Amino acid sequence: MSVYELYTVRRQRTIGMKESQSLLQCSSLRTHQIKQASLVRFSFDDKLIEAYAGETVAAALFAAGIRVLRQSPRAGAPRGTFCWMGLCQECIVVADGVRRPACRLEVQDGMVVQPGTVP
Amino acid sequence: MAAAAQGLSVRLLDEAPQAGGQVYRAPPQSFGAKADPEGIRLRERLRASPVTTCFDHTVWSVSPGFRVDALRPDGTVSFTARAVIVAAGAQERVVPFPGWTLPGVIGLAGATIMLKSQGLLPGRLTLVAGQGPLLLAVAVGILKAGGRLAAVIDLASRAEWWADWPAIASRPALAARGIAWQLKLRRAGVPIFYRHAIRTVTQTESGLAVATGPVDAEGAPLAGAGHEFLVDVVTVGNGLTASTDVTRLLRAEHEFKAVRGGWVPTLDADFRTSLPGLYVAGDGAGIAGAAAAARDGWLAGLAAARDLGALSTAAYEQRVAPLRRAASRARLFGAAMAKLMALRPAQVAAIAGETIVCRCEDVTRGELDAAVREGAREVNQVKAWTRCGMGPCQGRICGDIVGALVAGRGNGRHEAGYFTGRTPFRPLPLSQLAPLTDYADLRLPPPAPL
Amino acid sequence: MAHSDIAVIGAGAMGATTALHLARAGMRVALVDRGEICREASGVNAGTLTLHMTRAALIPYAIKGRALWLSAAEWLGLDVGARSAPGFSLAFTAAEEELLVKRAEARAAMGAPIRLMTPAEVCTIDPGINPAICAAAFCELDGHVTAYLTGRGYRQALVAAGVTLVEKTPVVEIDRRDCAYRIIGRNGTQLAARRLVLAGGVWLETMLAWLGLHIPVKCLTNQLVVTERMRPVMRSVVGIANGLLSLKQFENGTVLIGGGWQGHGDPIRGGVEPIPDNLIGNLQLARHAIPALCEARILRIWLGLESETDDAMPMVGALPGLPDAYVIGCVHSGYTSAPYMGLLLAQLILGHEPEMPLFDPGRLIRSTAAQPKDLP
Repeated sequence: MSVYELYTVRRQRTIGMKESQSLLQCSSLRTHQIKQASLVRFSFDDKLIEAYAGETVAAALFAAGIRVLRQSPRAGAPRGTFCWMGLCQECIVVADGVRRPACRLEVQDGMVVQPGTVP
Repeated sequence: MAAAAQGLSVRLLDEAPQAGGQVYRAPPQSFGAKADPEGIRLRERLRASPVTTCFDHTVWSVSPGFRVDALRPDGTVSFTARAVIVAAGAQERVVPFPGWTLPGVIGLAGATIMLKSQGLLPGRLTLVAGQGPLLLAVAVGILKAGGRLAAVIDLASRAEWWADWPAIASRPALAARGIAWQLKLRRAGVPIFYRHAIRTVTQTESGLAVATGPVDAEGAPLAGAGHEFLVDVVTVGNGLTASTDVTRLLRAEHEFKAVRGGWVPTLDADFRTSLPGLYVAGDGAGIAGAAAAARDGWLAGLAAARDLGALSTAAYEQRVAPLRRAASRARLFGAAMAKLMALRPAQVAAIAGETIVCRCEDVTRGELDAAVREGAREVNQVKAWTRCGMGPCQGRICGDIVGALVAGRGNGRHEAGYFTGRTPFRPLPLSQLAPLTDYADLRLPPPAPL
Repeated sequence: MAHSDIAVIGAGAMGATTALHLARAGMRVALVDRGEICREASGVNAGTLTLHMTRAALIPYAIKGRALWLSAAEWLGLDVGARSAPGFSLAFTAAEEELLVKRAEARAAMGAPIRLMTPAEVCTIDPGINPAICAAAFCELDGHVTAYLTGRGYRQALVAAGVTLVEKTPVVEIDRRDCAYRIIGRNGTQLAARRLVLAGGVWLETMLAWLGLHIPVKCLTNQLVVTERMRPVMRSVVGIANGLLSLKQFENGTVLIGGGWQGHGDPIRGGVEPIPDNLIGNLQLARHAIPALCEARILRIWLGLESETDDAMPMVGALPGLPDAYVIGCVHSGYTSAPYMGLLLAQLILGHEPEMPLFDPGRLIRSTAAQPKDLP
C-alpha cells in the first residue's frame, strides 16, 4: 500500500494552485525513518485499515488519509488530531468500547475503532 | 538521577512508553528507526541508574504530603513520597483563527511528534506558521523527511531573531544550526514571509485554503494584501506554555511571566515551590529550553537530596556552584528563544467574535466577551458562565488565550488569573477508578439523617 | 465611606436573593463578597432539586424554592438551566427499602408528592436505572439547576435593581459606629450601613464572632464528580435511600455525581483534596444505580463547602441583642430553597410577616462576648 515518490523537480519560488492540487493527490506520508515494520489490521468506522505495528491509531489513520475522527459537541463540526500528545482530546475515538485519544493508543491487530462523536 | 545518586530512593513516572519527553521522543521500537543520539544516551543513563522507572503511567492526581495517583493499563496505582519533583514540561499554544479547528490543522509540536516518533509527514504539501524556533525546526524536519512546504509564515521579523544576539552567540552550535536551517529553506526555494500570520483556513474540495496577511510587531493584523495557499496540512504554533497541573492543584503560588510562557510556579533559586517538598524543573517551571531543563533538573534533584538530609549543606553548595553557573549560561539561549515564543497580546485582541476559542465546547470569542461585559473579570467566572474550559481538556489548550482575552478587557493578567487546578489531570475512565463490586461489598458511610 | 441602608455580606444565592428583593423594594443595598458572585457553594453544588433528600421539616420551603428556580426567567431575568424531571430514590437492600419507606412517608406527610413504585414501573420511566433495585420512591416534583450559571443569573438582576455589588473584597471586621455597621475589607474598603445581613455560608461562625456572638457552624466538605459528555444514559434525577448518592445527566450529556461524600477541607483552605476511599465509594454507588456509567470518563473532581448548625436546621432571622442585624444560612438542601429563604428574610426586614416561619438564630447561641465594639 505504500508508494514512495521522489521529487527531483527544481521548484519555483511559490507553488501555484495547479501544482498544489496535483501534489495533494499523490504520494504517501510515510517517511524513510521506518526501517522495518510488520503490518497489523484494524477497523475504523467499519473500514479496514492497514497499519504498522507500534504506531498509534492516530498515525495509522492519518497515513491512510482519514483525518476526521469525530464531530464537535455543539457545532457538530468535523474534528481530528491537533496536539498529538494526549492533551487536547480532539482525537478521541472509541476503541473496543473505551474512549481514548487516538494519539496515545497503539494499534492492535483486530481492534475495532469507532469515531468519538457523542451520540 | 541526581537525587538517586545521593542515595535517595527515586521513582520516575511518565505517561509515555519510553523516556525522552517531547524533545527526545523516540519512535516505537518496532520501527527499527534511528532515534536522536542524545535521547538514546539519556535513556541508557537512566536504565543504568538506580531510579525506578514507571512508564505508561498517567499521573492523574498528587495529594499534599505526598501521594501520587497514576493510571496504568491494568488499573490505578498510588505511591507515596516525601518529596515530588514535577518535570511535566511544556505544551503548545495556538492563537485561534477561523478554521483552526479543521482536521488537518495541527500544532507545531504535534507535527514534530509525527515526524520524530511516528515516521509520518504531516502532509504532502504543508504550510508552517507561527513563531519561535519550532517554526524552523518543523519546516526543516519536513524537508529532511522528504516533504514539500508551501511556505513558512513567521510572526517575527528577521531582525527579531537576532535581537538577542549575545544570547544566541552563547550557544554557537545552536546558532550555527539556525543559520543552516535558514540556508536549507532558502536553497529549497521555500518562501518565508516574516511579520505575517494566518488570517483564515477554509476547507475546500481540493484541500485547505489558507489566507495569510501582514501583521505589526505586536501581532495585530495590518491592512494589505497577503498570500493564499492550497495545502493539505497547516501546522501552526504560537509558543509554549508551562504545564502547571500539579502546582495549580496543590495551590502553590504562581506568577505571570510572559517571556516564560505565561503563568508559572513561583520558585526559589533551588527550584522549590511555595510548598515544602515540591519542586519543579524544566519547561514546567517556565519555558527555558532543553539544555536548561537538563541542568535545572539536576539542580532540583540535588536540592531535594539536601532537603531530605541525603546531602549535607556544605557538600550541596560545593556541588551546585559550578552547575548553577553552567545552568545560567544554558538559560541565556533558552530565554532568547522563549522571548520569540511569547504571546503577542494584539494578536489575541484581534481574534474575531465568531472564532472558536474553547475547542472542546465550541465557545466563541463573542461568548467570552459577553461574559466579561456582564461582569466576569476572572477566568473561572468566565468559565462558569460560558462552559469554556469545562470540556475534556479542562482548559489546557485555551487557558492562556482566555487569560489574555479577559485581561485585555479588564485589568490585566493578575486580575484575570488562571483556571483553578483540579484532579484528574487527564480524563479518567470511571470503570478503572471504581471497579464493579457486589453491592454488599461496598463500604458505605452511615446514611444521611431522616 | 459609602453608606447604604443595608449591607449584605456574602453574595451566594441566599445573600443575593435577599439583596435583590430589598433593592427592588427601594432600599439602598450593598452586597459584598470576598470573591466574584456565587462562586462558593451556590456555584459549585450539584444543583439537585429533590424532595427525597430534603429534611422533612423543610419540604414546604423546598417546594417553593424549586418553583422559583423553574420560573427564574420571569423573576430573575435569566434561565439558569432549571429543569423539571422525575426523581427517584432507590433501594438495593431490605434495610434500604425500610429506610426508603420511612423517608417517603415523612416527606409525603409534609406535602411532598412522593409515592412508592415497583422496580418495573421505575425502569419504564427511566430505562437507565439498574433493574436490580428492591424498591423505589418516585417524586414528580424533582429536577435540577445548572448551578454554575447561578451567578450570571443573579448579577444582571442585582445590577438592574441598583444593588451596589462589591466583589473581590474579603471582609475582615465589622463593628458599630454612630448607629451604623461599619464593614471593613482587607483591601482597605470601608462601607457603612444602618442594617446588616450576614449570608456568609461556612464563614458565618467567624462573621458572627465579629458581632460578639458565638454560634458554632460546622463545615461539610462535599465531593462532586462530573463526567465528559456521553450518550443519554438516564432521564431522571436519581438518589439512593441511604442518602449517599445524587445523579443527574444534563442536556449537554455530562453526568454530575454527588451524594455528600466527604473530602478534606475547611473554611480557611477551602476544599483541599478528595479522600480516595470516598471517591471510589461514591463512584461505585453511581455505577450501581446507572450501570451505563461504566462507559464514562471523569473530567473533574471538586469539593464544595456546606454549612450546618448544631441541630442541622437553618438559621434565618433577626440576630438577638443586636439592632437591625440578620443572618441567613446553614440550610440543608439550601440551594433548592435559597430563592425562597431570601424572599422570606426580605419580607421580615421590610417589616412584613414572612409568609412561612423563619428559623430563630437565638436558639443556637452558645455565648455572647461583650457587645460589638462600639466606638465613640
